[in-house]
Amino acid sequence: MDDLLNDFLAETAEILAEAGGALVAWEADPGDRERLDAIFRLVHTIKGSSGFLSLPRVTALAHAAEDALDQVRRGNRPADAALVTGVLGVIDRLTQLCGALGTGDGEPAGDDGEVIEALAFAADEPASPEPIEIQLRREDDLAAELQAWRSIRVPLPLLDSVMTGVTDIVLARNEFARMLRESGADPRLIASFDRLSDSIAGMRQSVSQMRMQRIDKLFAPLPRIVRDLAQELGKKVKFVASGGEVELDREMMENIRDPLIHIVRNAVDHGIEPLDQRVAAGKGVIATLSVSARQSGNQIEIEVRDDGRGLSPDALVAKAIAARIVTATEARALSVKDKLELIFRPGFSTAAKITSISGRGVGMDIVKANLEKIGGVVELRNDEGRGLAIVLRVPMTLTIISGLMVRAAGHYFAIPRGAVREILLESSDSARIDRVGGGELATVRGEQFPLLRLEEILGLKPGADEDAEDRAIVIVRPGQGQSYALSVAAIHDHEELVIKPAAPLIMATGLYAGTTLPDNGRPVLLLDVQGLLAAAGIDASEAGRSHDEAEEVEAEAVAARKAAQLLLFRDTGGRVRGVRLSVIERVEEVPALALFESAGTVHAQIGDEIFPVHAGRLPEGAGMLKLLRLHDGQRVLCYPIEAVIDIVRLPDIVQPAAVPGLIAGVTLVGGEPVELLDPFWLMEQYALGEAAAGPSQPLCQLAGDADGWGENFLAPILRGAGYRVASADDALAGGAPDVLLSLSDEEGPVADGVPVIRLRAAVAAAGPDDESVYRYDRQALLEALRVRIGGGRS
Amino acid sequence: MMEKLYLIARIADTRVALRSRAIHSVVTVGTPVEVPAAPPHVAGLFALRSRVFTLIDPHVVVGLAPVTAVEGQRVIVVDVADHGYALLADAIEDVCFIDAPETRVTGKLLPGWARVADAMIEHEGASLLVVDPAHFVTLPVASAA
Repeated sequence: MDDLLNDFLAETAEILAEAGGALVAWEADPGDRERLDAIFRLVHTIKGSSGFLSLPRVTALAHAAEDALDQVRRGNRPADAALVTGVLGVIDRLTQLCGALGTGDGEPAGDDGEVIEALAFAADEPASPEPIEIQLRREDDLAAELQAWRSIRVPLPLLDSVMTGVTDIVLARNEFARMLRESGADPRLIASFDRLSDSIAGMRQSVSQMRMQRIDKLFAPLPRIVRDLAQELGKKVKFVASGGEVELDREMMENIRDPLIHIVRNAVDHGIEPLDQRVAAGKGVIATLSVSARQSGNQIEIEVRDDGRGLSPDALVAKAIAARIVTATEARALSVKDKLELIFRPGFSTAAKITSISGRGVGMDIVKANLEKIGGVVELRNDEGRGLAIVLRVPMTLTIISGLMVRAAGHYFAIPRGAVREILLESSDSARIDRVGGGELATVRGEQFPLLRLEEILGLKPGADEDAEDRAIVIVRPGQGQSYALSVAAIHDHEELVIKPAAPLIMATGLYAGTTLPDNGRPVLLLDVQGLLAAAGIDASEAGRSHDEAEEVEAEAVAARKAAQLLLFRDTGGRVRGVRLSVIERVEEVPALALFESAGTVHAQIGDEIFPVHAGRLPEGAGMLKLLRLHDGQRVLCYPIEAVIDIVRLPDIVQPAAVPGLIAGVTLVGGEPVELLDPFWLMEQYALGEAAAGPSQPLCQLAGDADGWGENFLAPILRGAGYRVASADDALAGGAPDVLLSLSDEEGPVADGVPVIRLRAAVAAAGPDDESVYRYDRQALLEALRVRIGGGRS
Repeated sequence: MMEKLYLIARIADTRVALRSRAIHSVVTVGTPVEVPAAPPHVAGLFALRSRVFTLIDPHVVVGLAPVTAVEGQRVIVVDVADHGYALLADAIEDVCFIDAPETRVTGKLLPGWARVADAMIEHEGASLLVVDPAHFVTLPVASAA
């Protein structure tokens, strides 16, 4: 009888949870005949089993609910909120009764009249005008009941004992294998033993799969929670669950149930805005809250996403400061991510006022701690104003994990492989260990980690036989945003470990996460990588470190951008000189023949252009020459060099030269004196008398140049003076002219707004109001141009 | 009858009687494994048929100097709150029925013993303390240790 009752209770508890969720979903879509059938079947099952066990109250309640649902199935009654609330009331009462039955005192006496009354259909009420399409398909019920036979209910202790049995077999096998090897047994014997071994491994695998449960069990109570909460708060929330087929170890499931419910409650309570605010924000009145699960590798990711207001980093900071969780100074140094993660700090509650729903002292800090206890992490994906997604990532199974075996002072310990980021030897080139003020710091490829020595934390004396030189470092990342280096005497190997909780008085040390029996049959303690940190009392948060690091990198980059770079070269005299890289346009390589001397200075022909070269005389011989092309934005000057040596950062200290000249000063680069060229002085030398065309130079258009005098006599003077010249025939390639020079007496076409200078052939002006210029009066012409348009050089 | 069945053992240098229903079994320890940084009365761990048991040193619990658990030592296995523990025993004497009733502890005990003793019982002309093995596990260690 007791067994039957226990089975009934276990089954009913499950059914009730499922029915609650199904009802809420059905309420949202009353036309969903299939779901109505499913709920009906669930209630029907409870009624049937309870009748068999003679539990009159349970039977009566189930019957009432079944009856009401059947009315709907027959189309005699509309599916409305009142009905759903009534059935939910029955489910609540049944849950209470089952709880009482579970304590073993039989069905308590009591009156369920009101609950059943609430279900009664008031026939005189105006019946809902919308008829619901319902087809009678009662044969479906039968099919579904047959389905139920395909799985069986196994008590948990039995499952655990199977697990223990398999572990025993594995241990025995290992010992047997060792003995076989030692006895030098017949290879055929060993081969058949290996076959046995393989099937044992397969069995172990199956047993751990037996412990897996579909995650929709975890989701089942959520629709009900969301519905009740939303109603209480006057919000409209649509709940969507997906990924229910993902499987998870039942122990993990227990561990994430409360955190998940808490997050969902939080989302409805704080995340989703009141209706008026949603409307004001231009969102739909009905909020969506989705819970989804998916498997990635041996991890399960559960995402709770709402389309509410999201988190406001600034509001969080203000709140944290008010709650004295951080100081204003600390807050300023926080990144956006750090600000969001303030919600995980103990004593933090995001609600403006504590409500009866979420603010009950169970904060996100507890959620995070619970998840970390089982090796999980919590992530926030915030979209301020548009919603928040909280992602829980947990290992698929807690009981069998991959563990790294390490040794310290002759003891073996296991570290969860999932928390290990990297393993390296202390003597390795990529690691450096510094003693800083009594603490130790490991720097691995530029990244710094606080170093913990396992012996010190555990209060062990380092083993005499262990080589201090040969120690290993395990980079451990116990949770998101944290990491440290754990120094151990040696790394042993890694294997799949069956983890059992250790005795509470051992767990209370905070150093261990459980015990395990590796294949050698000697118990090994699993280290609590988070607890070690607490025991060592160090701050392993990466935030500060990576923050500083990022800042450093940033600062370096800024400094590098600001600091001028210096091009080091060897000049033709063999001296090492330098020039600011920014004044160099490029380095040209030209044949020596491209250089020629003209009017006392050396020029270089590069392509179609001619540039002055800073050289006293033409280089001797043929061959190739390297020229630095210095550019000041307008003009180019070439400086011959022998070779480019390097580009270095311009040293801060430069010893300036006593007098202005080619050399601006001397500085030290790599301990060697380097002369710095003075580009200002260089440009100054060649700027005079040089007339390179540029877009900044005004364009003169010649008009009425019938005999070519303008092109042949005037244009060179104008060009020499820094103007561009276009003949009347040119299709104004350089754009609109800045000035028009009219060479003939007749009136040419005059563009609007373009000043005109008339040149006359006669020396004397025609009259007092004649503004024309005598064409051989160079000074007067240039003056006239300067007055009209400026520019050019006099 | 079970109520009258007692295990007579010598633990923490004292002959005591333990109610048999509180005891899981008496076994021989395999290789014990030390638990660094554990409370002083935790003498280590050992595996028995793929279960891991926590060794408890009763000497420490009653305020005596600890002893070292060695391979082959007899231990009294008890289950407390679903966890397996083993009390280090100096000697296991006998399992026997004692008809005499348990009586209230008379006389002044050492503070350590006073906390673990439930009652006294007459057996073969000697008064034995009746102790509850669970107390050795759950009680805080005597400060005299």
